[in-house]
Amino acid sequence: MLTEKGLWARLRTRLIFTGPTLFAFGTVMIIPFLYGIYLTFTNWDGIAVEQSLVGWDNYIGVFKDTVFWKSFVMTLEYVFITVVLTNAVAFLLAYAVTRGIKAQGLFRAGFFLPNLVGGIVLGFIWQFIFNQVFVFAGQKMNLPLFQASWLADPDKAFWALVIVTVWQYAGYMMVIYIAGLMNVPKDVMEAASIDGASNRRMLGRIVLPLMVPSFIVCIFLSLQRGFMVYDLNVSLTSGGPFKSTEMVSMHVYEQAFLARDYGLGQAEAFVLFILVATITLLQVYFSKKLEVEA
Amino acid sequence: MRRERKWAKLSILSLVMVVILSACGGTQSGSGTDASSGSGDNVKITFLNSKTEINSQLEQAAKDFQTDNPNITVEIVPVGNGQSPFEKASALYASGNPTTMMMLDTGDVEKFKDRVLDLTSEKWMKDAVENSTAATTFDGKNYAFPLSIEGYGFIYNQKVLDEAVGGTFDPQTVQTTAQLNELFQKIAATGKSPLIVSPMDWSLGAHYLALAYGGQSPDRAKVDQFILDLKAGTVDLASNAVFNGLMDTFDLMKANNIDKASPLSGTYERGPEVLGKGEVGIWFQGNWAWPQIDSFDTADGQYGFLPVPVSNNPDDFGNKQISAAVSKRILIDKEKNTPAQQEAAKKFLDWIVYESKGQDFLVNQASIIPAFSNITLEPADPLGKSISDYIKAGNIEESMSTLPADHWSKLGASMQKYLADVIDRDALAKEIQSYWTNVK
Repeated sequence: MLTEKGLWARLRTRLIFTGPTLFAFGTVMIIPFLYGIYLTFTNWDGIAVEQSLVGWDNYIGVFKDTVFWKSFVMTLEYVFITVVLTNAVAFLLAYAVTRGIKAQGLFRAGFFLPNLVGGIVLGFIWQFIFNQVFVFAGQKMNLPLFQASWLADPDKAFWALVIVTVWQYAGYMMVIYIAGLMNVPKDVMEAASIDGASNRRMLGRIVLPLMVPSFIVCIFLSLQRGFMVYDLNVSLTSGGPFKSTEMVSMHVYEQAFLARDYGLGQAEAFVLFILVATITLLQVYFSKKLEVEA
Repeated sequence: MRRERKWAKLSILSLVMVVILSACGGTQSGSGTDASSGSGDNVKITFLNSKTEINSQLEQAAKDFQTDNPNITVEIVPVGNGQSPFEKASALYASGNPTTMMMLDTGDVEKFKDRVLDLTSEKWMKDAVENSTAATTFDGKNYAFPLSIEGYGFIYNQKVLDEAVGGTFDPQTVQTTAQLNELFQKIAATGKSPLIVSPMDWSLGAHYLALAYGGQSPDRAKVDQFILDLKAGTVDLASNAVFNGLMDTFDLMKANNIDKASPLSGTYERGPEVLGKGEVGIWFQGNWAWPQIDSFDTADGQYGFLPVPVSNNPDDFGNKQISAAVSKRILIDKEKNTPAQQEAAKKFLDWIVYESKGQDFLVNQASIIPAFSNITLEPADPLGKSISDYIKAGNIEESMSTLPADHWSKLGASMQKYLADVIDRDALAKEIQSYWTNVK
């Protein structure tokens, strides 16, 4: 693509186009990341002026921190459930609002709306709903399921997190699925219907295979968001009751800033990074193989 | 021709890049001038406030201070609800943008001592009440301004208790666990709930459980030794009299809790509401809750503190005492703020201690019990007054203000488990001991 002659001319053009982005990427991503890795080898507490190198102590600490692994396993459960539910709901919504029903634009906007509210605010709103609205309704209408606040019970608090997450992200994923549905070639669908394929058959044999790219993107996004959930965790349950819904990001944060062990917290964050990067890369690699051409 | 156009494009692009880059740099130099403007006429200082309940009062005080000192602007930066002041302050330091003044908890001060001003030679040092700067003095240098004395215990609603005992309730009559139980029964007999237990981890962990340490002995050195023994793993809590007495009282509280059906679903906001409205007689909390109680008050401002009894012998330590200590401290940054800003901050502290408007803010507006003997204003709110009375009578058990930073969160969670009957007392004692033997 570059037509300039000479190394300097090529470099100059490159720098003009990619320089600003490289600069921003380097300063806000690469340098902090490398500095963070350096901090994992120190015993810094987050504020002290001095810090000393402690070798691999912090990484050994990560493997000894049973609470970290417990919350990691719980986060895995949470991620699995939310990925499945979010994508199932999102696809059904997308399918429903591309069928040409009345006011489907309004529905699309409505389902997308929760995404426009920040996670913290959303958490507080739902906290009020779970603590007050549901309990009030449960007591008035005598529904045992809602008589006590969901957020006071470890299992129900977990499901409260799942419900709010699905509600928040389904609309976003829906938009991607709508784009995928629109891109299914009309002529292929027409040919199939002339051949007498039923709606269900067309969905299973044509629409779904052609939408694999959308699924890859959406599952990747929901995986990554699930693993990194923090804002909702803090504002909806704050890890409670008694730390039973403390997701792994929140645990890492508390280790660094509350227990004042920045080195250990950073080491846990790095281990978490490796684990999540591995899982998401594997997901993309394997699902790429499912892609088909129209 | 073609060549010229290309050059025009390139130069426009490089111009755009320069603008973008200089904009990035611009913010940095912007804050730089902000700081250096201190040497000029107008100084702007910032104040990290970790007492969210007095944020509006503090903003008013900042305005009043500016009226007295027109060239100093004080901007209040609140710490988010549920966020720890240490967390916020260290994040601000990490970003190279610390506030001029930071309001921190006592236990945080030591961590910041290399980055903040030595305040030993300040004028207010000689007026500070006894022991108020001991916990923030390292190598003979005091690094923090003692802002407030706070205390906690059972807050009672006089009107509800009057009705329960049939006459005027006298707080002196409750000095043992049995007497407390009797009082609970009397309140229950009037058809009301005796008390509300707020399930926040900080309240259960840092306040209630801390009574088990501070109540070990009136001698502070023995309490410190007890903590060292806990760390060394040589304490058997399950057989400790003070811990057991305290948990006996906690069992009583559990049994009489208005939220007994779902003890963990309560929020902080629910406490002042039910107490103020007289739906319960007692709430375990501290004097900082007064503004919220006041907004629901139905007892003509008649409230006070009862100690948390730990045995059935009224003469045992803790049965007549309520827990109180200097809780919040103000530190002044010396790294990123200019000398002019530091001077302005010191001026602000002096203004609080020595100017009538400052004292009015402290005592009357913010309902703070001051840690300075020169301030003669009496606390206007009943809870502050009640604590002052306990202080005057010498019935104070010094609060544990230097516990490890994650103590409230981790052991607060253990207390929540006990409150919700997820674990029994033995398991609770084990969790507490295991926390202490592993803490750094």
